[in-house]
Amino acid sequence: MNQLIHPAPAFDAPAPSATLDAMQTRFALRVAARLTERSQDLGSDVTERLRFAREQALERARATRKAEASPSQGVTRAGAVLMGWAGSGWWLKAASVLPALALVAGLVLIQRWQDNSQVSVAAEVDTALLSDDLPPKAYSDAGFAEFLKTPNE
Amino acid sequence: MASDKELSDFLKSVDKRAFKRTLYAVRDEDAALDIVQDTMIRLSEKYADRPAAELPLLFQRILSNATMDWFRRQKVRNAVVRNFSDFESAGGDGDFDILETLEALGGSLASESSADTVSRAQILLAIEAQVAQLPGRQREAFLLRYWEELDVAETAAAMGCSEGSVKTHCSRAVHALSTALKAKGISL
Repeated sequence: MNQLIHPAPAFDAPAPSATLDAMQTRFALRVAARLTERSQDLGSDVTERLRFAREQALERARATRKAEASPSQGVTRAGAVLMGWAGSGWWLKAASVLPALALVAGLVLIQRWQDNSQVSVAAEVDTALLSDDLPPKAYSDAGFAEFLKTPNE
Repeated sequence: MASDKELSDFLKSVDKRAFKRTLYAVRDEDAALDIVQDTMIRLSEKYADRPAAELPLLFQRILSNATMDWFRRQKVRNAVVRNFSDFESAGGDGDFDILETLEALGGSLASESSADTVSRAQILLAIEAQVAQLPGRQREAFLLRYWEELDVAETAAAMGCSEGSVKTHCSRAVHALSTALKAKGISL
């Protein structure tokens, strides 16, 4: 047919495994070479779109690198130097935990204050009951309860 | 970390093969270009800090995933369950349009005679058609192994399968291609 045609590798004939592998690889690489040759003939529109895609990708890579090179932090390096924290990442980490600690301490204080206020209200009620002339047992008496419900005349 | 130049050179070295490989799989030029562009951008955004030596495998892995994503999106969009064999053996049976062939050549092989040029182009088209007709996994393994020149372990990593599967796919692909090309009277 033309000069591309050479004797074909005979995969049908029995051959040692290594020889067969080598023949397969040789054949596969020849096919790959033809595919490479064919892939060079892409149309100009496809080539142009691929070039545009490459440029887009490179632009993104530059943007990503730039963003990584200047990360935004709560305390900048210059700020840390001014505050006497230069070179000590441990202090920066500890400082970032402080707001969380303050929040937890605040919640604990609020809880305690609420408990105390509930106790003092209960104590006031108890004191009023015990210091009254009426004995507390009277409130469990059905007749007295009925008396309390009836309107005063 | 890969420099701008290394990244640019790498993308330039793989873009055409990546496009062709994707085109064999999705059979849609625009979709193939979108997938390749998406792959390049993902690689640049997420892995630009990796050494240049790691880029080929990462690129192939991302390209495979992006192609799979495209098929998933198509499946959802069409809401039709396709028969997998449609992907495996669709395409023409190797008949060529000679005018198209001549147009595609673009005079790059000026030293050959016209007959040789036409004949050579026909053979290249026939080979490409046969590769495109291989079952998806076989084609993927064959192209990664021999066209992208990854070793068996790298191909297995890129395809997410075992090394044994890669060897089997490659072997079957070579046999299928050899038989098909021999039937057409093409020997390499």
